[in-house]
Amino acid sequence: MSESKGVRRRNPRGAVSSPSVLDAAVDPKPDDGGKGIDDKPLQGAGKGLAGITPANFLLQNLDHVAGLVYTLLSFWTRFYKIGHSEHVVWDEAHFGKFASHYLKREFYFDVHPPLGKMLVALAGYLAGYDGSFEFKSGEVYTEDVPFTAMRMILATFGVAMVPVGWYTAIELGMSRWACHLVALMVLLDVGWLCISRFILLDSMLLFFIVFTVFCLTKFNNKQSRPFSIGWWYWLTLTGLGIGCVTSVKMVGMFVTALVGLYTVEDLWEKFGDLKMPVREQIKHWTARVVCLIILPFLVFMASFKIHFIILNESGPGDSQMSSLFQANLQGNDFAQNPLEIAYGSRITVKNMGLGGGLLHSHPHVYPGGSGQQQITCYHHKDSNNEWEILTRWDEPPYDPEGPIRFVHNNDIVRLAHIMTTRNLHSHLVPGPITKLNHEVSCYGNTTIGDIHDYWQVEVVDDLVRGSRANVDRVHALTTRLRFRHQVLGCYLRADSTMLPQWGWKQAEVTCTPQNNPNDPHTYWNVESHWNDRLPPADIKHLKTSFLRDFWHLNVAMMNSNNALIPDPDKEDILASTPFDWPFLHLGLRMCGWGDTQTKYYLMGNPIVWWGGAMSLIVGLGTFGVYLLRMQRKYFVMNDHDWNHFLYVGKVAFIGWCLHYVPFIIMGRVTYVHHYLPTLYFAVLMFAHMLDHFVFSSRQLAPLVKQITFGICASAVIGTFWWFKGVAFGIDGPIGEHKGLAWRKTWNIYNL
Amino acid sequence: MAGKSQQTPRLRQRQVPAAATNVEYDRLRQDDHVADIFHQNPNTRHPIEKLLETRKASMIVVAVLTALAFALRFYKINQPDQVVFDEVHFGKFAAYYISREYYFDVHPPFAKLLFGLAGWFVGFDGKFLFENIGDSYIENHVPYVGMRALPAILGSLTIPVVYAIMKESGYSTAISAFSAAIILFDNAHIAQSRLILLDATFIFFMALTMYSYVRFQKLRYWAFSTEWWTWLTLTGVFMACVWGSKVNGVLTVAAVGIAVLIDLWDILDVRKDGHTMEHFWRHFTARAIGFILVPFIIYLSFFYVHFAVLIKSGPGDNFMSPAFQETLAGNEMLLNSQEIKYYDTVTIRHKDTKVFLHSHIERYPLKYEDGRISSQGQQVTGYGHNDTNNNWQIIPTKALPETGRGRFVRHGDLIQLLHINTQSHLLTHDVASPLMPTNQEFTTHPKDDRTRYNDTLFYININDGHDGEVIKSKAGHFRLIHAPTKVALWTHTKQLPDWAFKQQEINGNKAANDKTTTWFVEDVIATEGEDFANRTQAEAKQPKHMNFFKKFGELQLLMLQHNAGLTASHPYASGPINWPFLLSGISFWTESDTQKQIYLIGNVVGWWTCIIALSIYVGILGADLLARRRGLDPIPDPVRNRLWNSAGFFTLFWGVHYAPFFLMSRQLFIHHYLPSHLASAMVAGAVLSFILSETVNYPISVWGPTTRARPKLYADLGIKAPIIVAGFSVALGVVMLYFAPLTYGTPGLTGEQVNARRLLSTWTLHFAAKVTAEVAL
Repeated sequence: MSESKGVRRRNPRGAVSSPSVLDAAVDPKPDDGGKGIDDKPLQGAGKGLAGITPANFLLQNLDHVAGLVYTLLSFWTRFYKIGHSEHVVWDEAHFGKFASHYLKREFYFDVHPPLGKMLVALAGYLAGYDGSFEFKSGEVYTEDVPFTAMRMILATFGVAMVPVGWYTAIELGMSRWACHLVALMVLLDVGWLCISRFILLDSMLLFFIVFTVFCLTKFNNKQSRPFSIGWWYWLTLTGLGIGCVTSVKMVGMFVTALVGLYTVEDLWEKFGDLKMPVREQIKHWTARVVCLIILPFLVFMASFKIHFIILNESGPGDSQMSSLFQANLQGNDFAQNPLEIAYGSRITVKNMGLGGGLLHSHPHVYPGGSGQQQITCYHHKDSNNEWEILTRWDEPPYDPEGPIRFVHNNDIVRLAHIMTTRNLHSHLVPGPITKLNHEVSCYGNTTIGDIHDYWQVEVVDDLVRGSRANVDRVHALTTRLRFRHQVLGCYLRADSTMLPQWGWKQAEVTCTPQNNPNDPHTYWNVESHWNDRLPPADIKHLKTSFLRDFWHLNVAMMNSNNALIPDPDKEDILASTPFDWPFLHLGLRMCGWGDTQTKYYLMGNPIVWWGGAMSLIVGLGTFGVYLLRMQRKYFVMNDHDWNHFLYVGKVAFIGWCLHYVPFIIMGRVTYVHHYLPTLYFAVLMFAHMLDHFVFSSRQLAPLVKQITFGICASAVIGTFWWFKGVAFGIDGPIGEHKGLAWRKTWNIYNL
Repeated sequence: MAGKSQQTPRLRQRQVPAAATNVEYDRLRQDDHVADIFHQNPNTRHPIEKLLETRKASMIVVAVLTALAFALRFYKINQPDQVVFDEVHFGKFAAYYISREYYFDVHPPFAKLLFGLAGWFVGFDGKFLFENIGDSYIENHVPYVGMRALPAILGSLTIPVVYAIMKESGYSTAISAFSAAIILFDNAHIAQSRLILLDATFIFFMALTMYSYVRFQKLRYWAFSTEWWTWLTLTGVFMACVWGSKVNGVLTVAAVGIAVLIDLWDILDVRKDGHTMEHFWRHFTARAIGFILVPFIIYLSFFYVHFAVLIKSGPGDNFMSPAFQETLAGNEMLLNSQEIKYYDTVTIRHKDTKVFLHSHIERYPLKYEDGRISSQGQQVTGYGHNDTNNNWQIIPTKALPETGRGRFVRHGDLIQLLHINTQSHLLTHDVASPLMPTNQEFTTHPKDDRTRYNDTLFYININDGHDGEVIKSKAGHFRLIHAPTKVALWTHTKQLPDWAFKQQEINGNKAANDKTTTWFVEDVIATEGEDFANRTQAEAKQPKHMNFFKKFGELQLLMLQHNAGLTASHPYASGPINWPFLLSGISFWTESDTQKQIYLIGNVVGWWTCIIALSIYVGILGADLLARRRGLDPIPDPVRNRLWNSAGFFTLFWGVHYAPFFLMSRQLFIHHYLPSHLASAMVAGAVLSFILSETVNYPISVWGPTTRARPKLYADLGIKAPIIVAGFSVALGVVMLYFAPLTYGTPGLTGEQVNARRLLSTWTLHFAAKVTAEVAL
């Protein structure tokens, strides 16, 4: 990629042949108009102003004029009838709800990083939304929800995608025809259009991806003048782009990988440049580390910092976080909890491993193993998380009238599940998933039980009082405990292993025979604590470290993301596999399909999708053929042409692979909208192939090029017009809109 | 890359290589200058090394290694006299070959055929079916020693092959012995070779494939000579044997394929030798024949033998299509299948869950637990047992002729099903089923009420059926597609609540072409008009014939599907990342009374040496790349070429047999790493050679008629190599013996002894002494 310092430039129309003196100085995104890729010297910015006629000015800035026209068109497509559906469409139910949480400042939990959702909240805030709407799927918006304004603010990201795509194509050194095709395809793909028009994260995600690629191409064109202002400017912006895109959705990691690969190759070239002084080498490396690693990471962390700052009240996501973190949230009842744990106390127990949940049981039984009642770790507050501390069977039972007996280190206790009265139990049965550990179950009742119900409380330490030596009685929140099974000598343990559907995808709890005193997954602490006989103690608020919370939240996000695996027992009619995407095998109904509803169907512009997929195959084949020919010493291109062919091809093909292959490998549920970022690279490849074979061909006559462009452009425009309804909303019975199901597999029509 | 060519773009011309402009190109030629780099004087060579390099010494070394291999693999091979681990499967398959009963397995048949052959040879009658781990061979009179001898022989012979690969690749005797010793003294290889398991066969033929490929490559200056063709074909033959032994054999095919592609890419390079395209195509065709055509034919022939041997009905019948089953003698479909006529009363059974289509007088409750509403129609369920409520009559929707073949039910016919006991028609409609809101409810509708006639119409479609094909009982697998809504009659293992007596739910599945929507007619209960007894009178049926390629295709597809479906969790399954580090093993067999156990675990010294060597190898190449990028040249070119070409070939085998497991979601075990481990032992040898000396044996390839003679060089490792290798072998042997009780399953170990052998806490050995304090009660 980096070898294209002197990218060839072509100017098929000749209209903008003379380098504009002006735009480099005036425009923050200096246009190189397919000519001056390198930084142009800023020679006397105002010199020629007076002598320029409007017509001249227009000609010289034709690229910007086109960019402007595309932006305006894009405003129209993105905003047209945007408030038409007054229902909560598709995932608006999620992201609208998250915005409400921000506006109400309640702590919630979600698998995606927070930046995108905070921007949704910001949109809501700017539009005057107060956070009171529940965003139930399919519900009609109430008067006080400015959903149209919110959709418009978010659609602005979608609007910006189009000009950025246009300028990216220019920066990639494509011919003007190809650039226009890129812009048209970005403008007129109904998939991108449709997804940009709702309260979703995708418009932001797409914009940041496109923006990052744009910055990268800009930076590439500055490579000949390292450490110049423009070089630093675009390197920094690339880093910011990476930071933003990864803070919106984890899919951003893929475009990050693209930038990473570009940088690795670039540095490898520099590493081999023996003429370059070592100091300059170091400067190059440092610049990349600072701008492309540290800066994005800071952006990512900052978005979490703001997330924590905004959400300072207790909310539905509390239980995902550590007990200490929750104690710092306003509005929960931890302050009323008594401090010291006694027999007869009602408690919830939290696992202290990263992403740990609350010890939980429910009336469902294990399908295998002992067949007794399940024990799991659960990440939501629920009365099934509550346990009572009781004495051993051979001791006198707990007497609510007798003297208060506190729980000490090494006490042997029984934990009774309050809702079902069964006791926490373990025995020599292999665990349900982790077969090498013992199964933990809930067994017996208030009178039936055996010695397998005994658990020894081992204090690890206390976050306030320090090491075990200083810990006398067990305290809520701060004392770190381990539960040792008295008979088997194993330790109660939970990690991120998920139970299948029969265990409701909750985390597995087992008893591990490995006594590893440093395993945080065997550490537990008492979270909530109720005991009428003890006074409430306002536990001193302990500061939690931001880094720990940050890390904890990320692990929890990762765990729930991994839990989103397809359930073989349940057919998800919306899900699709990656193989369905490139050739648009399936679409997705975004809302109810009733005759009176406005219907949106998430699919793509078939010409764009099929053309993109085909061009990837053609591109790979072409590359292979060129390689074979080189091996036989046939050369059809000079160095510049070859480097340019390779550079654009690499950005498009590797970018596409990076955004596609991971979906095949990972086991989670995938939907057709996961292909939308990938599609961008297919579009670039489509344009690149047409450019390579037609528009930049030296053999073909201009007329042939114009006709080719005409055919491609009108096909894209035509299919857009044909399918525009799926993005703008289809009213009335679907059967009246004929000719939409171009493939039998599209479930646009009811059978 | 395009290089520094100067020509104008439109010109296509071939350039004469301009000397001294292309540094990379020059490297290829530098073998010429070996003599300039190494100044060797054979007279100063250590006498012991000189002696070792003689042919005689090499033969003695390999004889000793082989003898040791046989000794270690045959020692107490009759222990234990019980079924161990996967002998349950592979012993059973051998038994089926002998009794000629059809079975189904995910692995191709070659290795299993060999077991069948071995069993037949030693007089096994095939009656014992290896049902459970721990079943006694003695009591059941199974000549198991003879069957175990086969893998033991192949496992032992692997050692000289490894030695030969190294020797042929140009390593000295000591180094070759080093690689062989790692395999020789490896507990995992020994344990795996002493039991009726496929891996020994797999590994042996994989080693042979590597050996023949090395021999083939060495003849590159003698292309198209008889010897060249011989080794080319042999590589293909052995490759087919690997492929035919286990599914993983595809990886060996892939590894050879990659090596061949790299080789062809080199031949294509016009700068190297200036060969013509015709020359290239000749090479290409030769390899296509040797590495694709020959292996494929042999692979096919394994299946041919497989089908030729298994001609009787057996436990594998049900996996296969009806047409296939009818080729097996004694198959129920063959014997009891009959053609169905209209107005026949039949029972209909679901193929996957084996329940009957059932209905009874009880109705669906108005409201389900989750608040959804039903039609309150008569229940239609899946029931596992025989019952008159399973009886349905097939009603035509068209006029039938009085007699003759027009009365048969055919593929694609539109039919109604009448429930005999309640005299109502089967029906489905757009009401959610009790358990699945996405699927349609099935119910019935009184026979006389024709208001809902359309909803009672179903197409009966034979799977892959052709027009006019008659539905047969047992043999005809069909789908029942509802005419108005296009859903398929379907059932799944979920039970309905008590109101339906916990019978299985039946509903209409929108994914009508799903595999699991298949049903068949189990039995014809009654027929109208003619004499029922006459019709069931079946003539003695002969097994039918089916095209071999059809059979082969069907079986291949099923094997792939089932292999991907092996996802159930297993206590001793482990992730690929654990394997090279030997983090976990597999408990093969235990005997509580004597505290004996077989635990599959490798020789820690050998395995850790291998993984360290691999890391060093990657480190060397990485450091060399970086250094060359900075204009330094730390490694002489011939040595680097040896590292890339020879050690690289071994590393390729290691990687290709290892990396794909990371992508597989099926259950994985440490023995899947054994082929990779074999390759890594060779890498270890190459790395040791590099560490000891920067000299190599040269030339290795056989000089061709046109090759310029160049000075011969030898790897000068000195006396240190034999000493190191001898010392290392002793260490390996000691460790091997220490773990031998776990490998041979004898003698029994006390708790303390077990604990002492448990080097890593992740090894889950049995009979460990409790370290923790006992219960205080």
